[in-house]
Amino acid sequence: MRHPTDGTLRRLLDEPAGVADTDREHIASCPTCRSALAAAREDAALVGAALNVQVTADVEAGWRRLSGAATVDEPRRTAAATSVPRWRAALRSPVIAVVGVVALLTGASAAAAADWLQIFRAEQIAPVTAPEADLVQIPELSAFGDLKIIEEIDVRRVAGVAAAEKASGLSVPRVRDLPRGVIGEPTYFVGDRASAVFTFSAEKTAQTVAAAGQPAQPPPPGLDGSQFRLTAGPGIAAVWSEGRPVPAMVVARAVAPTAYSTGVPFATARDYLLSLGVVPGNVAAQLRSFSGDGTTLPLFMAAEEMTSSTADVNGVSATVLASKDGVMAAVVWVDDGVVTGVAGSLSADEVLAVARGLRWSR
Amino acid sequence: MFRTAYPRVVGVAARVLGSRDEAEDVAQEVFLTFGRSSVPAGEATGWLSVAAAHTALNHLRTGRRRASREEAAGDADAVSPDVADAVVTLDERRRVRAALARLPRRQAVALVLRHSGLSYAEVAAALDLSPGSVGTIVRRAEHSLRKELNRHAPSD
Repeated sequence: MRHPTDGTLRRLLDEPAGVADTDREHIASCPTCRSALAAAREDAALVGAALNVQVTADVEAGWRRLSGAATVDEPRRTAAATSVPRWRAALRSPVIAVVGVVALLTGASAAAAADWLQIFRAEQIAPVTAPEADLVQIPELSAFGDLKIIEEIDVRRVAGVAAAEKASGLSVPRVRDLPRGVIGEPTYFVGDRASAVFTFSAEKTAQTVAAAGQPAQPPPPGLDGSQFRLTAGPGIAAVWSEGRPVPAMVVARAVAPTAYSTGVPFATARDYLLSLGVVPGNVAAQLRSFSGDGTTLPLFMAAEEMTSSTADVNGVSATVLASKDGVMAAVVWVDDGVVTGVAGSLSADEVLAVARGLRWSR
Repeated sequence: MFRTAYPRVVGVAARVLGSRDEAEDVAQEVFLTFGRSSVPAGEATGWLSVAAAHTALNHLRTGRRRASREEAAGDADAVSPDVADAVVTLDERRRVRAALARLPRRQAVALVLRHSGLSYAEVAAALDLSPGSVGTIVRRAEHSLRKELNRHAPSD
């Protein structure tokens, strides 16, 4: 008889009653299966211990908090309660700050790419603003097929400007006048190119759509099984954190994300995915308004926490983001296939002044 | 409904995040979303568990972690009397979260739900899988997680 699957062995550990008698008898008398079962048991015990957390949920407190949130305009309240510590915590470690900014830039792409299909070369950035509750509903890319990481995002510290330029091939911008409160020399970080290949699966998409309770829709011809290659980076970041627990300012540049498809045009894939009803309506409407040639990088942001506006940075249109609590601001723009951003615990005017004063040798 | 489901939702999120405070934040988010949705009552528990896992994994992925809270909650967890917990140090906890974030999303969700005490039938119903494939997915997830944990062991 054939050996039962690994899945059957795994279930035997948890729910022996769920495994057929014939399988159990086989396993009991088969050394191969017994050894596989032992391996499964070991892994299960290790992972179980690793995930084990003793939690006693305070139901009463949870209920009071939820009731309060539900009666007062709920998203606003959650944002007010969480955004300040979140930003502070996120900015506390320089590495996290860099990762955050890289996520905002290259990787807002990676974040966006993980959430959204893009077949495009980023030439401009446009914010997609929605309540946080809607943003978390945006399905993962893996809900529509298989995502295989080819080159992982790897951010590391380098000695200085020369090392950063050598490792990334990008010129490092020099800041002419540091804003008030930003002092000292920056620390430099470099991230290599990151890339992934996504294979669209009509079957997975159908499951996602069904799980969302939406009617099934056949994909356009050629989409099932077609592949998309997504790349972003390399990138560099200069981080000023001297004398402060929180980095005061980050200036970063990265090669803008690009996506290649195996033949399906951007608009076809976009329109199909948006028509499935699995992306919240207000997000879908904003994405649908982007140009059909796939040159606009969506920057997802929670409406409760951030405001966005546009500004001119030396002739290029830039997106300015500011947290509503005034804790941080950022400005991002794309020029000639490179995303550049300035962010920090500064005001929008301050990040814009730094952005307009950047100098680099081409 | 809230009273019975809340501890489970917090439990699922805590397994992902390793911290009660963050898990309670996730639970709030999940219940608020649930309140605005039109999920049928019969599917509510499964929906809430899956949403808790996804939302918590999103928190991991987007780095919306609160370092200070993690420290505080981590210490509280570390004094748990459970023997297994004593083995898993705070540093290991961090590696576990990182490894979990790298798993394919469906594997991570199935793994967390199973280890939060959902039966195979419940996991299958919540994720729209056959009960048979739950074992396969959980096994695969545990195998990769173990490999990740070994690979990133402190001796590296």
